[in-house]
Amino acid sequence: MRTESKAAPRLILLGAAALLLLALAIFMILSPKAPRKGQANRAPEGQATLLTLYEGPKTMTSSPNARITANGHELFVYDVMVNHEHIWNANTQPSDTPMTYFDFSGKVEIDIQMPGLPTPVESAQVLPSAWGIEPEVADGHVRFAITEPGQYTVIYNGSVNKATHIFANPPETEVPDADDPNVFFIGPGEWTMDAIALGDDQTLYLSGGAVLHSIVSVSGAKNVRILGRGMIDGSDYPAWNQAGSYARVPIDLNHAKDVTVEGIILANSNCWNFNSYSCSHVRVDNVKIISGRQNGDGFTFQSCTDHVVTDSFARTWDDSLVIKNYSGSTKGITFRNMQVWTDLAQSMEIGYETDKGLTLDPEIQDVLFENITVLYNFHKPVISIHNSDDAFVHHIEYRNILVENAFMEGDNGRNNELIEMNLNKSGWSTVKDEFGSVDDVLIDGLTVLHTKDGRVPASRISGQSEDNRITNVTFRNVSILGQKVQDLKGLNASVNEFCENITVE
Amino acid sequence: MQKKLTILFIVIILLSLGAILWAYLQAPAEQTDPGLTVVPAPEQAKAQRPPCFPDQEDNYIPLPETENLALNKPIQSGEHTDVYVAANVNDGKTDTYWESKGFPAQMTIELGAAKKISTVAVRLNPSAIWEPRKQEIAVLVSQDGQAYTEAAPAAVYDFDPATGNRIRIDFDAVEAAYVQVVFTMNSSSRTGGAQAAEIEVFE
Repeated sequence: MRTESKAAPRLILLGAAALLLLALAIFMILSPKAPRKGQANRAPEGQATLLTLYEGPKTMTSSPNARITANGHELFVYDVMVNHEHIWNANTQPSDTPMTYFDFSGKVEIDIQMPGLPTPVESAQVLPSAWGIEPEVADGHVRFAITEPGQYTVIYNGSVNKATHIFANPPETEVPDADDPNVFFIGPGEWTMDAIALGDDQTLYLSGGAVLHSIVSVSGAKNVRILGRGMIDGSDYPAWNQAGSYARVPIDLNHAKDVTVEGIILANSNCWNFNSYSCSHVRVDNVKIISGRQNGDGFTFQSCTDHVVTDSFARTWDDSLVIKNYSGSTKGITFRNMQVWTDLAQSMEIGYETDKGLTLDPEIQDVLFENITVLYNFHKPVISIHNSDDAFVHHIEYRNILVENAFMEGDNGRNNELIEMNLNKSGWSTVKDEFGSVDDVLIDGLTVLHTKDGRVPASRISGQSEDNRITNVTFRNVSILGQKVQDLKGLNASVNEFCENITVE
Repeated sequence: MQKKLTILFIVIILLSLGAILWAYLQAPAEQTDPGLTVVPAPEQAKAQRPPCFPDQEDNYIPLPETENLALNKPIQSGEHTDVYVAANVNDGKTDTYWESKGFPAQMTIELGAAKKISTVAVRLNPSAIWEPRKQEIAVLVSQDGQAYTEAAPAAVYDFDPATGNRIRIDFDAVEAAYVQVVFTMNSSSRTGGAQAAEIEVFE
């Protein structure tokens, strides 16, 4: 009896343990929430992560140069044209670099392998550095986590070769109704047609996963939207200046009004990328441009009013953000929260054409560049006002400009300034015998982290005559290579006698 | 009895432990993330025209299927705009074009010999970015390149990409060695001159 009385509790305990383990085994086998070996890269428990991935077109293959996963799920990687030639060449040959995209909120773990690099990845950097991301590099993998939608660029082994652009979009909030007669709905897949012309009240939706070989024109229309996550791709057209080719601008707005462009990618254009000419009230958000061909300007606005571009990206082989006067004046242009990578020409350019239309009293006014991160500038000035005709350029503001790599190589020793403002004639001048002026320019918050030779690059401000001057230019909170700039000498700036009230605060 | 139960429980425990270990070693199931959406791509063998933009070629204005007598023949015209030279007007391609500098603008085509003609077609690029416009056009003909007579009086024609951005001018059949197409108006806001990607002449 004593033996049985002792054995019974042990048996009960053993039975309970068996039942518990049996239940655990059933849970492990059946439940998708059960822990699994090798799932450290998946969305963390407790995080309300939303992740939308887009399959690439079945007609295309993912880049062999990069293998990228998001929370363990493989992404389709596109090879897009870029250009490492940092001097103008009419017959330049672009190279390519990996690009991918997805939508998310919450937290996403990125894992990159780079078989396309000539040497193994030993170090990596995630840009903009303001994200503060220190990637883990081990066993040929680059791993890091992101919690904010935005544009991320990864460089390897201290080189920009095969720099990888990851466009982590916020979740879409507005997908138009495909059955709406005013909506042209293009789903995932590879599509081609000569051109799309949008009229009043029409919407073009380009779904994530879509690659559209075409161009989109909005001419004389109002209340037009171009939305989505997909890509307009110009790779099947030769560069515009080659024999038999012509310019095919992927987004071409002309005398349009009330236009919204959101979320899409422009890649491999054979000329300019996003053009707006004599348009008003244009809103651009989360548009990504990567361009490596001749005259591949990014966002280029001529004689426009009331344009706001936000949270967008431009890697270009010509001016990245550019404002001109082609036919009439410019007023009210804002670029805010932008990332710029300038392989050729200027990063933020006003000019050279400031009166190409030979209009009466041309002006460029009320222009704001705010929260601009220049990842790289390899060629000409980061900030430039080239008033090459006869316009009155005034009330121009640059606020919180971060230049990560100011590597301006210039053209054979010229045009390699950090900042340049002048009233000189150029090959782009239309007005040959008159000059304009520049007044009221504020640069408030300019930080340069790295320069090509570790020295402060030159800047130059030069008016033209007593009647054609550059006046009231203020530099405030400027820091170059960790040193706060106290005066024009610290800025390494030359100012000629036709300037007035050029101050450093 | 107790011994049998003990053995049973131990077997269950061992099997359970084995099952737990096996399950742990399995690869994570795809799409176990509740917030994951994968947007699939359709089956395609090649790039296609988006279905929301049906091909409009069936609506194009039909042109004669006979020989284009103007193709690559000698031509004469006045000043052109920029790079849009006269030679583009009969090179057989609608993605190149001639644009005159101002009005009136004449384009004279030398057919090489007297031919009976009854149709002249003027074409622009059918691309949608060549938005609708009007041009005023007359057709003159000549046997010697000196004295011209009117085959079709000046009239305003509608160019519309929806109908192929092409117009045809039909007239009573006439013998001609030279055809002169005269433009006197273009409604496009993009130019101050005449525009033609192709001028074609048919019997």
